[in-house]
Amino acid sequence: MVGIPGHTPPHLPHPFDLEGVLSAVDQTTEIVTVTGASISFPGVRALDGVDFRLFPGEIHSLMGENGAGKSTLIKALTGVYQLDSGTVEIAGEQVRFTSPVQAQAAGISTVYQELNLISNLTVAENVMLGHEPKRGPLIRTRAMREAATEHLERLHLRIDPASMLGSHMIGVQQLCAIARATAVQAKVLILDEPTSSLDKTEVDALFSVMRDLKAQGVAIIFISHFLDQVYEIADRITVLRNGKLVGEWETTQLPKFQLISHMVGKTADELAAIAGEAAAGERVTQDAEPLAQAIGLGRRGMIEPFDLDTYPGEIVGLAGLLGSGRTEVARLLYGLERPDHGTLTVRGRQVRRFAPRHSLRRQVAYSTEDRKVEGVVGDLTVRENILLALQARRGPFKPIGKKEADELVNKFMTSLDITPANPDLPIKNLSGGNQQKVLLARWLAISPALLLLDEPLRGIDVGTKAEIQRIIADLARQGMSVVFISSELEEVLRISHRIAIMRDRRKIGEEVNSQTLTSSKIFETIASSQELR
Amino acid sequence: MSSALQWINRAGAWGVKYGKVLFASRFLPVIGTLATLVIMLIFGQIRYSGRMGYSFVSLPVLTALLQNNAYLIVLAIGMTFVILSGGIDLSVGAVVALTTVVIARLLPVGVPLGITLIIAVLVGTAMGLLIGVMVQSFGIQPFIASLAVLFLARGLSNVIGVDENGVVRSLAIVHEGFAKLASWSIKFGEGRAIWRINASVLIAIAVLIIAYLVLHHTRFGRTVYGIGQGDNGMAAGLMGLNPERSKIAIYMISGTCAGIAGVLFALFMQTGFCQHGIGMELDAIAAVVIGGTLLAGGSGFVLGSAAGVLVYGLIFVFIPREGLDATWSRIFMGVILLLFVLLQRAITVRGEKRSAGHGAKKPQLASKKASIDEGHRDNRTEVNDE
Repeated sequence: MVGIPGHTPPHLPHPFDLEGVLSAVDQTTEIVTVTGASISFPGVRALDGVDFRLFPGEIHSLMGENGAGKSTLIKALTGVYQLDSGTVEIAGEQVRFTSPVQAQAAGISTVYQELNLISNLTVAENVMLGHEPKRGPLIRTRAMREAATEHLERLHLRIDPASMLGSHMIGVQQLCAIARATAVQAKVLILDEPTSSLDKTEVDALFSVMRDLKAQGVAIIFISHFLDQVYEIADRITVLRNGKLVGEWETTQLPKFQLISHMVGKTADELAAIAGEAAAGERVTQDAEPLAQAIGLGRRGMIEPFDLDTYPGEIVGLAGLLGSGRTEVARLLYGLERPDHGTLTVRGRQVRRFAPRHSLRRQVAYSTEDRKVEGVVGDLTVRENILLALQARRGPFKPIGKKEADELVNKFMTSLDITPANPDLPIKNLSGGNQQKVLLARWLAISPALLLLDEPLRGIDVGTKAEIQRIIADLARQGMSVVFISSELEEVLRISHRIAIMRDRRKIGEEVNSQTLTSSKIFETIASSQELR
Repeated sequence: MSSALQWINRAGAWGVKYGKVLFASRFLPVIGTLATLVIMLIFGQIRYSGRMGYSFVSLPVLTALLQNNAYLIVLAIGMTFVILSGGIDLSVGAVVALTTVVIARLLPVGVPLGITLIIAVLVGTAMGLLIGVMVQSFGIQPFIASLAVLFLARGLSNVIGVDENGVVRSLAIVHEGFAKLASWSIKFGEGRAIWRINASVLIAIAVLIIAYLVLHHTRFGRTVYGIGQGDNGMAAGLMGLNPERSKIAIYMISGTCAGIAGVLFALFMQTGFCQHGIGMELDAIAAVVIGGTLLAGGSGFVLGSAAGVLVYGLIFVFIPREGLDATWSRIFMGVILLLFVLLQRAITVRGEKRSAGHGAKKPQLASKKASIDEGHRDNRTEVNDE
């Protein structure tokens, strides 16, 4: 383990050296050197004296929780943000980019976390924008499309380059963004969460391109929440926490568990305790009345009729691939959409009115999958976001008293450990994980009996994940009924008492979660039912 | 053979996979405009042709239509740039007036014709620059910024547009070269079938071609669409384009087009008058919208705008021929405008549904509304219940 980096070049063993192509690349001179970088935003010190170095021909992973400063550091490197203090050197020369154009000119190519493409232009235009083949001042459309096709094919993406970017799914758009970044002859390639919407084969294609580029001496910064991916591809890892540098390590010399403990700033023992706690939670009541009971509930074109019971004190996990109908189940249980089939009973009473306002009165809460669009109200403060649902249930003429509001907000801000601990910040200034906690607080404020959580852990770092999982387990222990949805089977397995398995908008099975139930068994269920059809 | 096969293959794949989407969202408004234009021409052909071998759809009629609307075509092209970027330019009518007045005042004092016209166009450019700087550097709403310039240009044309006695009135442009330019045309055909292309038409067509090339074959043109995406050019900026400078340039283009339109209008009217072009900006906006450009920005074509102007021009041909009062033209214009806006709306809604159905991770409008409106709706019932 190397602490704060000195100026020793990275040493063997380097997976790269084994390939025997090193000779062409001078791997000992830093291509990017960041020294003492600091950036402040109102209320937040996003970067605090961070040092960072990057060598040609390496893949360097930047790790840290949400809000650790990864994206800020990237944006400082690419000229989107300006440093308050500190320096950036590219190939030994000090630079001060004031716009992304300059960074691109200096050979830094970037795929940002939020897709920053132009959806009303064609795929080819997006991929080639800024480096189109030209005749005189005019862009040669056909040549541009051919070049774009070439770049896309390296990622095994075969789509019509003349189609509008916006007509494609997010995953494809993400690949387009990557194709765009690799289309230029960059010295430094920055990939900020490039794999968040990609499936396995797409990730493999991306990794093979990354390895090619690495062999050509390109320095790559790779940011990802998927630890497996980081360990598969990264040569070195730099960890940030709360805007500060924790350290820099060779990937091979940093066990996963230690990496996590560096990221969250807790010791390995503490982490183990959290994980154990989340998994513990025995189902409280075994033979109580079901809280919500769906019998043959379905809606044409949305989901086929399904049965599902939820009991107080129980966490029901919904497992299945993306688009398997998980979200649809939650939406029907919540009463967001009117079913055209079957009945839904909550606390023994059949549900007849389907609208969020009635759901709230039934004490059913639904935390949406799409945090950014359907969840947070970005310009409102944390406090207002927390109180939103409660106020909605009360009506406009019964305002929440200031004292009561303060108490509620303080209670949740401390119990959920929302940082920064300032309820008057606009929520958009918070990191994704903390926004998720605020959303959780919003629904907890109405003290729901049934809490539907759709992908509550997406895009959240490990530490916060463990924390939120523990909170959910606690809630169940206190008698709340929880429906938990996640694309990550391991998460579902860790937290649920019972698991409903979904495929192709159909519930295909239900298992009690015990030691014997494994993710491969669930996958088998999903796969085997595929053969039946 | 193989290339033909390839072509068919490609076209087939294109048609099946993306053609529908493309057709639905991007080109359909323009196709609607062109279809309307064709239907109107067919209507005119059936209704007005026949007497003594007269044909409505004929070069003499169509070129006359172009000649009468050349200035509006140029104006609409400039406006297309602005609307594509999600902005609006209300100043262009006033800039036209200012330009005509500048010409009317400069020519009599002996400024050469060429220089006069260049100055006149540059006056428009300057007005556009002013709007662009206000919008970009000071973050003022395009509506307000261009409204301010509307008043400025109208006011200036009032100040400049006076005769030797200091009286504000319509100033006849009496200048040999200018008159020659106005009456110059290339003549085709003989006798009744004679048709002409004058300088205005040539200029309008040139502007159209240049605008098309700029918009679709330059980086700047792509930036215009990028800004119109609705994120205020953020993505375009991150992709290494320069949305800031482009935004100013967009308004300069609109101003320049207004200047050129002013010159064409002066050629058409042979006068310079501060009351020229009142409401002309609205005509231009209407033509752009009829031409299939989304007012929200990001989608549209200059060719559509030119077609929109012709639809507009045809209404003004039809109404008198139907024996209706000219004021009816405006009403019909309004009806057609409304129909096109409804068409656009239908297409947008369909597009949203389509992408939601595709499983693309786009916000579903209904559910989004539900979660936002949740509060309000909930409030209401809660109150009623108690």
